[in-house]
Amino acid sequence: MSRVGVFVCHCGSNIAGTVDVEHVAEEAAKLPNVAYATTNKYMCSDPGQQAVREAIIEHNLDRIVIASCSPRMHEATFRKMLAGTDINPYMLEIANVREQCSWVHKDKDVGTPKAIDLVKMAVAKVNYDAPLTTTTIPVNKRALIIGGGIAGMQAALDIADAGYPVTIVEKESSLGGRMVMLDKTFPTMDCSACICTPKMTDVGAHPNITIKTLAEVESVGGYIGNFEVTVREKAKYVDYDTCTGCSLCETKCPSKVDSEFDQGLAKRRAIYRPFAQAVPAKPTIDAKNCRKLIDGKCGVCEKVCPVGSIKFDDEDKVTTEVYGAIIVAIGYQLIDWTKIYGEYGGGRFKDVISGLQFERLVNASGPTEGHILRPSDNTEPKTVVIVKCVGSRDPEKAKSYCSRACCMYAAKHAHQYLDKVKDARCYIFYMDIRTPGKGYDEFYMNTQHDGARYIRGRVSKIINQNGKLICKGEDTLLGSQVTVEADMVVLETAMVPADEANQIGSMLGITRDKDLWLSEAHPKLRPVETNSGGIYLAGTCQGPKDIPDSVAQASAAAMKVAILFSKDELESNAMIANSNKNLCNGCGACVAICPYGAITLEEITARENSVMVTREISKVNPGLCQGCGACTVACRPGAMDLRGFTDEQIMREVAALCQW
Amino acid sequence: MTAIQESIQKRAAELLESGEVTQVIAWTNGRFTNQTSPLFIQNAADAGKIVFNEYCVNTLAKYVLNEKIAGKVGVCVRGCEARGINRMIADNQLKREEVYLLGIPCEGMKDRETGEALDKCLTCTHKNPVVYDELLGAEVTDTVSEEIDKVRFAQIEAIEGMSREERLEYFNNVFNSCIRCYACREVCPVCTCRECFVDQLRAGWQGKQNNLNENRFYNLIRVFHIGDRCVECGECARACPMGLPLMELNRKWIRDLDELFAAGEEGLSDELDNTLGRYKTDDIEEFM
Repeated sequence: MSRVGVFVCHCGSNIAGTVDVEHVAEEAAKLPNVAYATTNKYMCSDPGQQAVREAIIEHNLDRIVIASCSPRMHEATFRKMLAGTDINPYMLEIANVREQCSWVHKDKDVGTPKAIDLVKMAVAKVNYDAPLTTTTIPVNKRALIIGGGIAGMQAALDIADAGYPVTIVEKESSLGGRMVMLDKTFPTMDCSACICTPKMTDVGAHPNITIKTLAEVESVGGYIGNFEVTVREKAKYVDYDTCTGCSLCETKCPSKVDSEFDQGLAKRRAIYRPFAQAVPAKPTIDAKNCRKLIDGKCGVCEKVCPVGSIKFDDEDKVTTEVYGAIIVAIGYQLIDWTKIYGEYGGGRFKDVISGLQFERLVNASGPTEGHILRPSDNTEPKTVVIVKCVGSRDPEKAKSYCSRACCMYAAKHAHQYLDKVKDARCYIFYMDIRTPGKGYDEFYMNTQHDGARYIRGRVSKIINQNGKLICKGEDTLLGSQVTVEADMVVLETAMVPADEANQIGSMLGITRDKDLWLSEAHPKLRPVETNSGGIYLAGTCQGPKDIPDSVAQASAAAMKVAILFSKDELESNAMIANSNKNLCNGCGACVAICPYGAITLEEITARENSVMVTREISKVNPGLCQGCGACTVACRPGAMDLRGFTDEQIMREVAALCQW
Repeated sequence: MTAIQESIQKRAAELLESGEVTQVIAWTNGRFTNQTSPLFIQNAADAGKIVFNEYCVNTLAKYVLNEKIAGKVGVCVRGCEARGINRMIADNQLKREEVYLLGIPCEGMKDRETGEALDKCLTCTHKNPVVYDELLGAEVTDTVSEEIDKVRFAQIEAIEGMSREERLEYFNNVFNSCIRCYACREVCPVCTCRECFVDQLRAGWQGKQNNLNENRFYNLIRVFHIGDRCVECGECARACPMGLPLMELNRKWIRDLDELFAAGEEGLSDELDNTLGRYKTDDIEEFM
């Protein structure tokens, strides 16, 4: 006979508002094995916890049910509380009468009976709770950062400064990401390269940081503290140990292709650095466009290289290393508007450009050396139309969310344009202006003072006529149609997740939302963690954000890693899967379904029915198992059970609910 | 058929004589006319008891599991048995080297009482064994798969055409007749659990009462446990003493899994296909 204590929380009026908590406690007291039932205004508060502790002693309780908020919220709190008593911390059930009850119902007539049912289930289950214990697992104090943009670099620097080795895996040939492509940054208008490239140099020079460029994570195994990561560094065809970065090869290479860094507005060579300040400051050969690698003719770079660093026979390098934590900072890309917005020319009009192309146009080291010129004829545009929310806030055609940074960079583009081109006119078509942030609204007001004309409405059609772009739209404030003859149109396009987001999310067990942004563990309280232990998020891979937010999140993620690395050992999860060897028939369904590789088949020899038999059974590695329960549902013989959520417990819960 | 019977007798005797196998599983004459029953022989001298005629209705695959403890087992395999053997190897219940497979091409068996072709043989898609150590007799031609599929899924389509109420009534009738003797489970090469969920009293999945609710629960969970691995030997429906159409729900799964995940037929190889239990990064995730 167990002695169950039931504690029903008011949560102020959060629960008590729609659930008659006193009645719930009265009903709970009548349930089998319940020795004591009471209520408290705030069960999680210090006095609330003290009341539970006292009741445990006074009524000699051996397990408790807390009817309160979601277990995600306070289960850990109450476990910690139980650790200070004679009761095992796992002899606890939380009946979620807030999120799943009081918050979803409007009156007590509905809320109270449901709360009673939830408590009934928890009492039925707690009767079958068993004491659980944890073990410890070692922590490898090395961090892996996927993505070398501003977020990845910031996180790397912070972790490295804390004294732990860091490896950055960057898919491009240089660090820097998107930020280094920008010209100036709002609202202070400091030069993006001037604040980003010193960080790149710091990362490159830091003794604790290893950079792997042109690299991709191929596979990830293991678990928190012990991730086994295989990284493929693509062939660079240049020996970085001997190359001095003199860039003589770049000047002699005869192959010219569109520069990705300059958004196709300029050319680069087949052996190249994406931009002058690249880190590492050494070139790579683009195998798709190198004449030597395509048909064996050329090899000029090899001839001119003074130190003989060109290696045409270079191969991909695959390495597997162990890391304790992983930060995902794979960033974003801009939506391909050309496929969606036929009304804006769908990419056919050369002078309809994206915001990022404008950044390159206005940049002093860009293709036009900072002169704003139309891509079609290199003349200075006298009228520019800026269209906001291209792809954002457009659930019918593209994305339903707000990309957050566009209002500000549209204002910045207008400001830069009006600053550089005299007698210019700039029209900004907008839906709403969203400028929360330090100095942001002031910046927007300044842009209006500069002469930018904001028109509330969307552009419905752009027509190319005699070298002019006729933009037709509606001014919804005036309620009239407007037509602007523009020389150039800048589309402030939506941020969307990087191409790799889905694949990396699957590989690391990070959930994705409907738009494929990687999901944090809790939108408010755990914004940089993921649901996979030891894996954190930084920057725009989690959702659209501007540079200050990305940097802040990166430092937060780095701090989480530093906290993890501050301990030598981690406590393992107590609520893990457990295989009953008598029921297990060794079919291996659990091995195949386990996302953490925590289950293996093991041969046993035992006497069964008077005969010695050798057969295989499944075995769970307690360090790897995260307690997700996938194996328990895949197990047809019912041999796999999750500690704390055994089949028996769940059946009792169902039985309690179905009593009538 | 007589030729095949002689070949089986001859090879069984040789295998037992040489010690290659410790036991041979085949068929022998039963107590009644046109009836056979499974035969287990350990001595070469008993090989003469082996019978192979058009009434060898039992699928022998499942017997291997109990018998293999004593040593390597020789077993006669037709299409249905061979797929069952593959199934059990894929499910890690059997090792290929634990069995010696005497392959038998089969044109289909007959119902003892009516003399008509056996139901399960009408839907047979593999008349020749898909795995064997030696083939006794010449391969026969399989019926064109489109033709077979018309028969295989005829009843599914009929049920899908019913209204909700008609369907409920139809299945209530089926499940009402079930006596839960679990013969279907005993003969099934997929049912290899050491303790079936119906017997796990502590967890209490299945109530002991024989009523519509419990019978429905048993039959539905049976399909959930075997539907994605069914090799369509049809032995469950044949073994059912109440003559219930037990393959219908299985076939619904088979067709749905094939349409959704291109699962194909089970038991054609001894690799675990695991349609429902596998996870790939490029899986469709329309529901997420």
